[in-house]
Amino acid sequence: MKKVLIICGTGVATSTVVAAKVRDHLAEKGIGANVVQGKVMDIVGGDVDADLIVATTDVPSTVTVPVIRALPLLTGMGQEEVLDEISRALS
Amino acid sequence: MESFLAPISSYLNTLGPSVVLPVLITLFGLLLGLKLGKSFRAGVTIGIGFIGINLVIGLLGAQVAPAATGMAEGLGVSLDIVDVGWPSSAAIAFGSSIGAMIIPLGLVVNVILLITGLTRTFDIDLWNYWHSAMIGALVGAVTGNYLLGLLSAAVHLALILAIGDLTAPIVQKYFQLPEISFPHGTSAPYGLLAIPMNRVFDAIPGLRSLDATPEAIQKRFGLFGETLMMGLILGLLIGILGYGFDSPAEDSTAILTLAISLAAAMFLLPRMVSILMEGLMPISEAARTFVQKRFPGRSFYIGLDSAVAVGQPSVIATSLLLVPITLLIAVVLAPAGNRVLPLVDLATIPFIVAVMVPIFRGNIVRSVIGGGILIGAGLFIATWIAPTFTRIAVDSGFALEDGQATISSLVDGANPLTGLFFLAAELGTAGVLATAVLCLGGVVAVRFLMKARDRRALAAETADGAEAQDGAGA
Repeated sequence: MKKVLIICGTGVATSTVVAAKVRDHLAEKGIGANVVQGKVMDIVGGDVDADLIVATTDVPSTVTVPVIRALPLLTGMGQEEVLDEISRALS
Repeated sequence: MESFLAPISSYLNTLGPSVVLPVLITLFGLLLGLKLGKSFRAGVTIGIGFIGINLVIGLLGAQVAPAATGMAEGLGVSLDIVDVGWPSSAAIAFGSSIGAMIIPLGLVVNVILLITGLTRTFDIDLWNYWHSAMIGALVGAVTGNYLLGLLSAAVHLALILAIGDLTAPIVQKYFQLPEISFPHGTSAPYGLLAIPMNRVFDAIPGLRSLDATPEAIQKRFGLFGETLMMGLILGLLIGILGYGFDSPAEDSTAILTLAISLAAAMFLLPRMVSILMEGLMPISEAARTFVQKRFPGRSFYIGLDSAVAVGQPSVIATSLLLVPITLLIAVVLAPAGNRVLPLVDLATIPFIVAVMVPIFRGNIVRSVIGGGILIGAGLFIATWIAPTFTRIAVDSGFALEDGQATISSLVDGANPLTGLFFLAAELGTAGVLATAVLCLGGVVAVRFLMKARDRRALAAETADGAEAQDGAGA
């Protein structure tokens, strides 16, 4: 199963909102994936155990895993496009 | 009326937030149009979050307090106030009597300010109302007057929204976040203070041109950023200083247990808050749709948590450097009266500096100096409010272990606005009312500044002028 890492400043606040939306969307599309949350300070070293990162903030340039910016999932504007992009990246 | 309400309020207090908030949240969710099942589930989830946070605070206190006492006796460094961090602060704030009212109050305040044109920000992050609830709870506890607490919470929220508006252009440009502002209780006040600081730094010849690159700092100090490692190293350090090494078997057990426990506490606290957030989310979403549906076609800044800015390389670099510096400052300032031992909120420093960094134009040297000065001054605020902070925590149903006399936090215990409102409360009713008038004056002043800025923008580019004029005409 693929692993999606949701990244924000705390690994708690905005990433909880994004994680819930991503989980709902993937369940709807029937895509099985492990969605976990994390904070940006923990991946500064560049070691990331995930297939895709969805981030509400900047991700350090040392990270080589593909990154999708998730700000629209917080503001609600352009939300569908981002969710589609996520499911495309996982299928 | 009073005598009739007293037993009820005492009963609710005994029940505590882990029981009362689920009921309140369920009712509030229903009011906003959520289905009963979803609403009830959200409420119960919040109750679970409270229980979880309570458990971890207990662990933190039980482990750190004896070592802190040992440190005070052995080294004469008296840092006996445990920094329980923002996760605990937020739970304490939401669990207070003000916190129970803060979501409806905050929404009403924000909507009124939007209608009157006193703010341009709609804060969609209801979670961050906890900052205002904390202010209200402190003022309420000091004055013994619930209404003054509510008033202070409302005024604090208005002020934070105004600061969010004021710093929005800089934030939007630097972080490339169009139409976003940060009406965030932690980062906003520090951002405001960074504006005059930057002028001072500009005037100092040697400092003017000094800077550092974020990449090198990330590489060298990356370890300080990882909560797990930070907790472990801190635990070892405090353990060695606190327990010494007189009897190797006994002391090494105590030191290693403290290290793994502190790592656990710092790792678990945010996880527990995440449960609280999960419960609050359906309510927050419902409230957002509720308000946005009633203001169709009206454009405003979307107020977010500064969590979305924390990944910016200069913010990370500044925070990594400030972790050891903050610890050092706490020790150095101990003889001068600081009693707070920074722990959990060492991981929250990125939020303290999130808006300062763009105001210092990403200059890391300035951000570290500015951040260090404000955090250092803040330690005295955190020490000052600690007894009241502890009282609110106990009132909110958090069981504090014996021997863990006092707790506090950097976020928002060390915040400049916390200091201002606490001072006001200490001065009594007149102080609170005067501060309210002063702050609302500030809100109006920001409104005029914004208008002036609109006019300048209008003069600069007449082609894009229509939108700005729309704002100025309201």
